[in-house]
Amino acid sequence: MNKMEFNQLEETLYHEQLPNGLTVYILPKRGFSKTYATFTTKYGSIDNHFIPLGEKEAIQVPDGIAHFLEHKMFEKEEGDIFQEFSKNGASANAFTSFTRTAYLFSATGRIQENVTTLLDFVQSPYFTEQTVEKEKGIIAQEITMYDDQPDWRLYFGMIENLYKNHPVKIDIAGTVESIQHITAEHLYTCYHTFYHPSNMTLFIVGNVEPDSMMQFVKDNQAAKTFDEPAPIERIFPEEPKEAAVKERTLEMAVQKPKVFVGVKPERLDLYGPAMLKHELSAQLAYELLFGRTSDFYHEAYENGWIDESYSFDYSLESGFGYALIGTDTNHPEKFAQEVKKTIHQAVEKWPFGQEDLDRVRRKKIGFFMRALNSPEYIANQFTQYAFNGMNLFDVVPVLEQIEVADLQEAFAAVSAESQQSVFTIKSPEKEQA
Amino acid sequence: MFETNKIAQGVNVHVHETTQFKTINFSIRFKDRLTVKSASERAILANVLQHSNAMYPSHTALRMVLDDLYGTSLYIDSTKRGDDHIINLNVETVNDQYLSDEGVLEKVMNLMYIVLFKPNFENGLFKENIFKREQESIVQRIESVFDDKTRYAQQRMMELGLPGHPASITSNGSIDQVKQVTNESLVAAYHHMLENNEVEIYVVGDVSPEVITAHIRDYFHFADRKQLPAKTENQLQSPKQSRVLEYEDMKQGKLHMMFFTPVTFRDENFPVMQLMNGVFGGYAHSKLFANIREKESMAYYVSSSYASQFGLMFVLAGIDRKLEEKAVSLILDQLGEVKNGHITDTELEQTKALLTNQLKEALDSARGQIDIYDQYMELSEDFEPAYLIGRWEKVTKEQIAQAAQGLSLQMTYFLSGKEEASDE
Repeated sequence: MNKMEFNQLEETLYHEQLPNGLTVYILPKRGFSKTYATFTTKYGSIDNHFIPLGEKEAIQVPDGIAHFLEHKMFEKEEGDIFQEFSKNGASANAFTSFTRTAYLFSATGRIQENVTTLLDFVQSPYFTEQTVEKEKGIIAQEITMYDDQPDWRLYFGMIENLYKNHPVKIDIAGTVESIQHITAEHLYTCYHTFYHPSNMTLFIVGNVEPDSMMQFVKDNQAAKTFDEPAPIERIFPEEPKEAAVKERTLEMAVQKPKVFVGVKPERLDLYGPAMLKHELSAQLAYELLFGRTSDFYHEAYENGWIDESYSFDYSLESGFGYALIGTDTNHPEKFAQEVKKTIHQAVEKWPFGQEDLDRVRRKKIGFFMRALNSPEYIANQFTQYAFNGMNLFDVVPVLEQIEVADLQEAFAAVSAESQQSVFTIKSPEKEQA
Repeated sequence: MFETNKIAQGVNVHVHETTQFKTINFSIRFKDRLTVKSASERAILANVLQHSNAMYPSHTALRMVLDDLYGTSLYIDSTKRGDDHIINLNVETVNDQYLSDEGVLEKVMNLMYIVLFKPNFENGLFKENIFKREQESIVQRIESVFDDKTRYAQQRMMELGLPGHPASITSNGSIDQVKQVTNESLVAAYHHMLENNEVEIYVVGDVSPEVITAHIRDYFHFADRKQLPAKTENQLQSPKQSRVLEYEDMKQGKLHMMFFTPVTFRDENFPVMQLMNGVFGGYAHSKLFANIREKESMAYYVSSSYASQFGLMFVLAGIDRKLEEKAVSLILDQLGEVKNGHITDTELEQTKALLTNQLKEALDSARGQIDIYDQYMELSEDFEPAYLIGRWEKVTKEQIAQAAQGLSLQMTYFLSGKEEASDE
């Protein structure tokens, strides 16, 4: 078992890769009574075109299948896995993102029993045509619920604007229509390709003793047999640099129009430390331009172009990413115009110096320290970073090394006019004031 | 868990000294009676005080000093519980020992003092443009509930079912009342808050209770509160309409049901009712989830919740708009099962285990410790989680059935798309 100590943060992380390929991390948290565990596969909604394990030809699977598979993992011949977790006092859940499917529980007791349930249920697929059919009604209601949420529509509308071919543009849950094509056979194919231990990470954080827990997980895994690990062949289409759609409006009943300005990053091939440095630098640059202390925010707030819903974000994964700046507003055109102007001016003449950097850097370090109080944040964020070759605990040291020139360079890759897009949601019947 | 010191009549400081967290958390809570008027004023007040103050007279200036204090988070929100309206100053700052910088804690405490006691006044009133802007913000916040159809449906049911009752008053008041607030009445509400509200101050982190308490006593100089108005007795009156159907432009149907129960937070049987809710619909092992979702495939979400302050229980489900009648009947069937005592040993044990787990887990965050203590302090001054856990342990199926029998369905509210509009 390997041990990494982060002295400044007073955290120690234990980890090991098991013979079957599974990566296990254990982070004990002093004073906590709960333990939180995530069992995550590097498989999300974007992995819809691939060569199935042991075959030669690539296949394209129906939209929404990774999420469908996540739902179906909980049902077994003997019943519902939620019942098992509840018996042992654990709250269980799961989620599917663009790049990951995570199964998780939190509990304050019977941790070994709950870890066993978690590992065993994810490693024993059980799908029949009948249970697959039955799930379609439930997921159709889930999709319908999201269809009625304007903020969700706004987010996906923007991603669709930015990406022409990349599967990130497909809604994670698919559509009511696309899920009708899913069969038990599809689920098995996806399962066997993407749920091999070598494509998965187990992260346990909280009130846990690392030596005995690692041994416990090893024994559980050693008792099962898996195929030899094989590299997974995913196929992604060519994606142009520029935004696919410059501007689009959706009509939907909303109290006030909603608008997003999005920017597609230029560097989508980054991995590991270079990716971490770029992502943090771009986040700091966007914080300076659009954060609560920015000139933009001040002006927009004073003029009533934004309200409490205002937000901005920069997020990067392998193959896709986005900067988003948005708000509910009665002045969507003005807001979009001002955001674009702010970006343009910063491209023409970089406005920030050392003092500005020091201030937002301190803010970000403070945010990170607060986040480390949360076992959920640590497990989820660590896993997402690890799948992209980054280490979450490098955030503070990397932040400390970043210079003004790094912000400028990162910003240059997320600012070109051709990479920008605007997406608006407006009520059909209401006239604009 | 908390060490409590009374620093003035009606003003208490509660400190939990712990090394569990990398940060120090403060929560200063001003409690007043909840009315539409007080909520409307105080929602604006929370925003105005959070915006700026005499020392940092612009939003940007205040936010910059917070960034410099290692991204110290400071926000003021307004919430409600029972017939209390609560203005809550929340501050979280990094513990000095993780930084190369020292003295952050003292600067943060001084800043909290300025935020509360040195407002951004001009000739005895709040700066007019800030007042106007924040008044507008609250109006927009109330309006935006419409975009979240689950919240909107719940709010509609409460407005229609229990008009004027604290259960239906939101922590932001009403658009009408917010618009009637003047700068003068806001200043009066501000002084009233500082001088007459009950104040509970919570601190969680690696701090000395003596030092923190002394600092707050000496620098904040809170005066004695006068006698607080007595708790209001709010009898629940059956809604005028027992079934309401409304339409909006949407796809899913939102089913909301309201039940009355004589068992409230202060009742001897409160823990029994918590278990009843868990067996019925509070969890993924509950009867509603297992039957309406897993067996019938009718819903993605279906659950019950218990509003113990008022003696209310709600059931919420997102369903196809054509299936309202069927869903209501299936939900009532499951309630019938609980009423008849058809509860398995497993259901009982699962629910006890999850309630216990939930309580223990909540205590793993500073915010959770404060919220739970603030709520349960009313039941017992030296509240410990073991007290509730012990009460749950003893509850029997018969008691749960009996508690369920006291529930009466008062209202069914259904919000959905119109027939022709929602088909695609």
